[in-house]
Amino acid sequence: MTFLAASNDVAWTAGPPFGPLLVIILCVVAGLGTVLLLPGRRDTNWRALGGTFIFIAAAVFAAFLIRWALGSAAKPGLSYIYFWIFSLIALAASLRVITHPKPVYSALYFVLTVFASAGLFVLMWAEFMAAALVLIYAGAILVTYVFVIMLAAEAGATGPGSGAVGGLPEHDAVSRSPRMACLIGFTLMGMLMFLIFDRAPPGIAPNNLGGSGDAIAVGHTQQLGKFLFDYHFVNIQMAGLLLTIAMIGAIMIARKRIVHLGADAEEIAIAESPIEIKNEIILGKPTPIDDDPHAIPVVGTMNPRHKAYPEN
Amino acid sequence: MTSTLDPIALQHYLAVGGIMFVIGLIGFMTRRNLILMFLCTELMFQGVVINLVAFGAYHDNFAGQAFTIFVLVIAAAEASLALGLIVLLYRHKATLDADAWRELKG
Repeated sequence: MTFLAASNDVAWTAGPPFGPLLVIILCVVAGLGTVLLLPGRRDTNWRALGGTFIFIAAAVFAAFLIRWALGSAAKPGLSYIYFWIFSLIALAASLRVITHPKPVYSALYFVLTVFASAGLFVLMWAEFMAAALVLIYAGAILVTYVFVIMLAAEAGATGPGSGAVGGLPEHDAVSRSPRMACLIGFTLMGMLMFLIFDRAPPGIAPNNLGGSGDAIAVGHTQQLGKFLFDYHFVNIQMAGLLLTIAMIGAIMIARKRIVHLGADAEEIAIAESPIEIKNEIILGKPTPIDDDPHAIPVVGTMNPRHKAYPEN
Repeated sequence: MTSTLDPIALQHYLAVGGIMFVIGLIGFMTRRNLILMFLCTELMFQGVVINLVAFGAYHDNFAGQAFTIFVLVIAAAEASLALGLIVLLYRHKATLDADAWRELKG
């Protein structure tokens, strides 16, 4: 990698970039800003003030880090600039994920976070993981999230008397105990920053466990595949099994129960189910077996909206 | 790998991962929408994954990236199950408010 001279024995010349007092001050300022920025019944001026607080704290933090890196033994190169661009995008977008009152926008900002993280992965020579992150997170998981957000659009939650704020349901527009959450979160963040920068043991030297002289000739992705199938072969199989089980479980959890109204099937169905049958499709008599795949689950329903092809 | 991360570079990446984790944690505690709470757990996964890959690059082996693959698998399984559960809960109460299920606290 690397924006600094790539040697395994770079001298630990630079001390910690900032003292603990500065970390505490920055965490307090950023915590105040986050409290103001989280969704709530405030007008936009307060939220802009919170954003300004966070921006100032982040700028001071970044300035100290840049000064620290420039003062180290080796000089940062071009990828140091890329690091700051990607991490700025990733952190700003993740902040918007938790502060945007509309869920769809939060999901889209999360996609932006994923893309910026993929950029950081490329900087760390993890090209395959960058591609996998974009494909799996932005391509698969987030699409599922957006689908569920749109399917579960709440019609009744924005009516009068429901506590709705500005056309949004109350549980989206007002956050739950933001002060306590920011106190806990930024205490943890201060501890993490202190540990990472101040108490990092300078003696840890990078070792070459997977040392590879022919990395350029072979490529990181091939090396990763070889590593996986050399050392994690069973784990890969277990991961596939876990995904299969999760898929079956998701189908079983989210399916709708279909109750057939046979001769006396209704009493049986009600007697067998421990919870009340509320949102289930009540079908008529079981339909005869049909080769037409469209006819299987929907023909025979009493609700015309459940027909697959209402235009027929 | 061709070269290792330098300690200073490692700490930059660790800081980004840690801050992202904390942002996800705050979001998980403050947001009241069920879907957004799970989105915030994905954000916490992101922070952890950045740390894993950074340590892998620092130690010049592929264990970090291998763990990242498993974290992605867990995230995908968790997302599918959680969204199935959310759909199920939404069918019962027609709201995504987590406080609607307050009685589960006991």
